[in-house]
Amino acid sequence: MASEKPLVVVTCTAPVNIAVIKYWGKRDEDLILPINSSLSVTLHQDQLKTTTTAAISKDFTEDRIWLNGREEDIGQPRLQACLREIRRLARKRRSTGDADPPPLSLSYKVHVASVNNFPTAAGLASSAAGYACLAYTLARVYGVDSDLSEVARRGSGSACRSLYGGFVEWQMGERPDGKDSIARQVAPECHWPELRVLILVVSAERKQMGSTAGMQTSVETSPLLRFRAESVVPARMAEMTRCIQERDFQAFGQLTMKDSNQFHATCLDTFPPISYLSDTSRRLIRLVHCFNAHHGQTKVAYTFDAGPNAVVFTLADTVPEFVATVRHCFPPESNGDKFLKGLPVRPASLSDELRAALDVDPTPGGVKYIIATQVGPGPQVLAGPHAHLLGPDGLPKATA
Amino acid sequence: MDWPGLGLSVPGGKRDEDLILPINSSLSVTLHQDQLKTTTTAAISKDFTEDRIWLNGREEDIGQPRLQACLREIRRLARKRRSTGDADPPPLSLSYKVHVASVNNFPTAAGLASSAAGYACLAYTLARVYGVDSDLSEVARRGSGSACRSLYGGFVEWQMGERPDGKDSIARQVAPECHWPELRVLILVVSAERKQMGSTAGMQTSVETSPLLRFRAESVVPARMAEMTRCIQERDFQAFGQLTMKDSNQFHATCLDTFPPISYLSDTSRRLIRLVHCFNAHHGQTKVAYTFDAGPNAVVFTLADTVPEFVATVRHCFPPESNGDKFLKGLPVRPASLSDELRAALDVDPTPGGVKYIIATQVRPGGGLVGWSTPPHRRLTASLSPPPQKGPPTAWVCPGQEADLLVVRVTLFCFQNVWRSGACPVHSLTLTVDV
Repeated sequence: MASEKPLVVVTCTAPVNIAVIKYWGKRDEDLILPINSSLSVTLHQDQLKTTTTAAISKDFTEDRIWLNGREEDIGQPRLQACLREIRRLARKRRSTGDADPPPLSLSYKVHVASVNNFPTAAGLASSAAGYACLAYTLARVYGVDSDLSEVARRGSGSACRSLYGGFVEWQMGERPDGKDSIARQVAPECHWPELRVLILVVSAERKQMGSTAGMQTSVETSPLLRFRAESVVPARMAEMTRCIQERDFQAFGQLTMKDSNQFHATCLDTFPPISYLSDTSRRLIRLVHCFNAHHGQTKVAYTFDAGPNAVVFTLADTVPEFVATVRHCFPPESNGDKFLKGLPVRPASLSDELRAALDVDPTPGGVKYIIATQVGPGPQVLAGPHAHLLGPDGLPKATA
Repeated sequence: MDWPGLGLSVPGGKRDEDLILPINSSLSVTLHQDQLKTTTTAAISKDFTEDRIWLNGREEDIGQPRLQACLREIRRLARKRRSTGDADPPPLSLSYKVHVASVNNFPTAAGLASSAAGYACLAYTLARVYGVDSDLSEVARRGSGSACRSLYGGFVEWQMGERPDGKDSIARQVAPECHWPELRVLILVVSAERKQMGSTAGMQTSVETSPLLRFRAESVVPARMAEMTRCIQERDFQAFGQLTMKDSNQFHATCLDTFPPISYLSDTSRRLIRLVHCFNAHHGQTKVAYTFDAGPNAVVFTLADTVPEFVATVRHCFPPESNGDKFLKGLPVRPASLSDELRAALDVDPTPGGVKYIIATQVRPGGGLVGWSTPPHRRLTASLSPPPQKGPPTAWVCPGQEADLLVVRVTLFCFQNVWRSGACPVHSLTLTVDV
């Protein structure tokens, strides 16, 4: 390799993931080790992604970070943990005496800029995508090619699941040092091509309790959570893996709904209790059960994270009818914005029987919009100078 | 003898569906009779051609299995009593049919556990009529799982028992009602909508589908029963309150862990929960404690001196819509105002009309049937005083007395799916006999 370059810039993108077997509760707050394993579906980056540019130069005087155009505090502990860990891995690589001398000095400072292609106000957990992207990008910059689970995890636990596409598990591990608490792919993104994911963005009412504080309180006060982690989740992880490998949507859907409900049950069993589900969330739950009962099988399945947005799994041929059902029960308020974003969905109408079965008073505006997406790949490197979010001076490019 | 009971711990599901044996034990508190009223009339006559029952003016199905089980059991006990050769011949033929009518002054099927009171009252009244004085737990329990707890006053424990025939699944009094005179109960009626899912169906589904429920029943409730008994015996409101809230939440957690999930708590219920935690945090201690039954209404426990401030807090956060009805019913509550600090701490947007009204009541001895009613038949009305502890019950005629039996049962600890909806609430009982 040539001598050290004045500026090295790498840009990558990373996906959002949605857990179908939920992570909630840590056994180690510093290393971010969970009390149970979890399993997620990686969403397609055409609809949801984080783009991160990392630049390293001897001319930078300090580490800096910009998120969605705004400079944030680089001293934030999670960010620091992430940076320290990637630098540790880079140092380790160097000391193993690889032939190529690394192109950069580890003492150089780094500038990071990151943007999401979906609104932050949508309440879609972007920290997983963000930290996965940061880990992946810095690894490319420093030439690290070892497992990045720990780097991502130290930023945000579920970020390690965004390091892979398709269907991903985060094995809880047993070692106190967390070296075996890693993510691995269960099935690739092309494994289940008919699977679709609909994100129903709901009006956020009051401020919800953050997940870090929430899960800590749950671990400290909920007897049901401990039982869940020890006695329920392990078998569910095995069953969910089977459902995915066999593309068994019935079983996949039911288990997804049960695990979402059980997660929220442990939140309610926390003291003081945590309620992430709103009345609208509950109406959506009833709508799904009603829709499935009408069809006599599990055709759609909901899951809710630490917020009111619903993520609905279904197969491609059900999407039009289900979207029409949501429109019927939650008529969009016409305000100029598109109600349906992402993958195109052909219009459909509801049968009279379905309409009768639904038996609900419509809730206008209850669902703000829907993002239709599907299973997608893991992090990608973007080529070309146009992709970079930082200019040659290492500062964010002015947006057009 | 029917009075409201507040379950403090609820059986998590039935061990034996026919006998209605719980899978864990439970405790309850009995509410005062003056505030929550059910009026029931029972008439027995040789002229009746069939058993019939009316609830709030509407005839209901007497063939309902729980009701039949209750009637069968009391008639069996009466027959047994007869065959043991008691000196007094019973005044009624066991072949006579019974008519029962019942009216509530509070919403039914809205999570106020009216069925428990109903069956307890029915059991007790029929027992008095037929001269049965054996333990009535079984009779009441056949009607509604939690009903047996309403048979006594004060604090009542339902021991789950182990025998498959359920003979050792009985209620016993843990502490008499005068034990905690400062304890107050506020029932915040949120809505009178029909329950989303009746309790029996809900309980059945929970037992079948919730892993968390079995764990709760086997590993959590037993220790909580012991702890709750201690709290009551020592009048430890802090611990009593916290445990009450935790168990209510855990009940609803297991409902959510059911498939399909059951949500009895509404957005208003959740606001009330937040309000309580906020109120307690402001005071730096547990001064009020909520519990929610299989419905959105809140039951709040507190001590007498906290009632005015807490009621004022509820008014502040849930301003009553002025519609002529009284917002505050039951025990008188002196007005109070909120301190600026509390007002600031509450930090909520008011929800006008979110709470329809509040019933303020207290713990009271369970106790006999008082009153009567006058069905349009030739009859003998019976008025019974609080039950004598020994000896056969007697009946005498006291026409013209207002019946005012209070039988609302509000269950504290998730009687996980214990009661069914639609049972007849019980009020005063009037027995008519042919003379």
